[in-house]
Amino acid sequence: MNATVLQVGVLLFTLGLGMVVLRGQLLAMLLGIELMVGAVNVILTYHANLFGDPKALAAVVLIICVAAAEAVLGLCLILKLHHGGIPAETESLAELRD
Amino acid sequence: MRELAFYFVGAGAIVFSLGMLVQRSLYAAAVCLLMALLQTAVMLSLAGSPLVGCIQLIVSAGGVMVLVVVAIMAAPSQAKAMWARFAVPKPLAAAGVLVLAAELLALITLPGLSGGVPPAGALDAKVGAVLFGSYAVATEAAALVLFLAALAVVGQEENDFMKRRGVSPHGCFPLAACGTRPGRGGGK
Repeated sequence: MNATVLQVGVLLFTLGLGMVVLRGQLLAMLLGIELMVGAVNVILTYHANLFGDPKALAAVVLIICVAAAEAVLGLCLILKLHHGGIPAETESLAELRD
Repeated sequence: MRELAFYFVGAGAIVFSLGMLVQRSLYAAAVCLLMALLQTAVMLSLAGSPLVGCIQLIVSAGGVMVLVVVAIMAAPSQAKAMWARFAVPKPLAAAGVLVLAAELLALITLPGLSGGVPPAGALDAKVGAVLFGSYAVATEAAALVLFLAALAVVGQEENDFMKRRGVSPHGCFPLAACGTRPGRGGGK
């Protein structure tokens, strides 16, 4: 069971990371980050129950809350970009590089 | 039995995550992520914490994904050309509903699936004591972060409203006074 949880968690994390790296749209990258957070939560929850540690479970709850707040802020910024006529893509947001 | 169920649910999550990665339409990708997060909530329950699974279901799959879908639909019309069609492929939608229904049925009816290591929910009762005990500062910090996120959205909406009324965002306060004072650019 331990190996199963780790395999599934790592695969999900990798797919989320692929979403962040391979897609150029900020919204798509946000989706990838949410998947990565979910994968980490699964692994942490299983091991919290395996070792009988309620603090790790409390940390999972806090992670979910902070991830939700981060998603809200990210979406707000993306909509702000769209309302300003700027495409929410990594290729368009390269002022610091230039 | 539980390991087999975890494999099945994990495979579903991986399939939908792959679907999310390869979808050209952002709306379809968001729906695939919604299905993947639902599978994740089931996995959390199988891992021994039904409470955390429910929280994941409500917050991530229910709250965050609704916000994402609304954000995709709320994009200005000139930005919609950047994205592909909004339709979700019908086989994918049907597969999502069928898989979720089968998993929920299995969780409810089959014995030994809702057990945990230790028994399911054994730690859930202690989470509250930890959150408001030794992790009280972290809990307050997370609540503050959520509050600030809500303020950011409200502030953004207020700025947009004032701009539409022809008033500088740093002009009058409170907002109710903007439409009643002459020479302030509002109340026409």
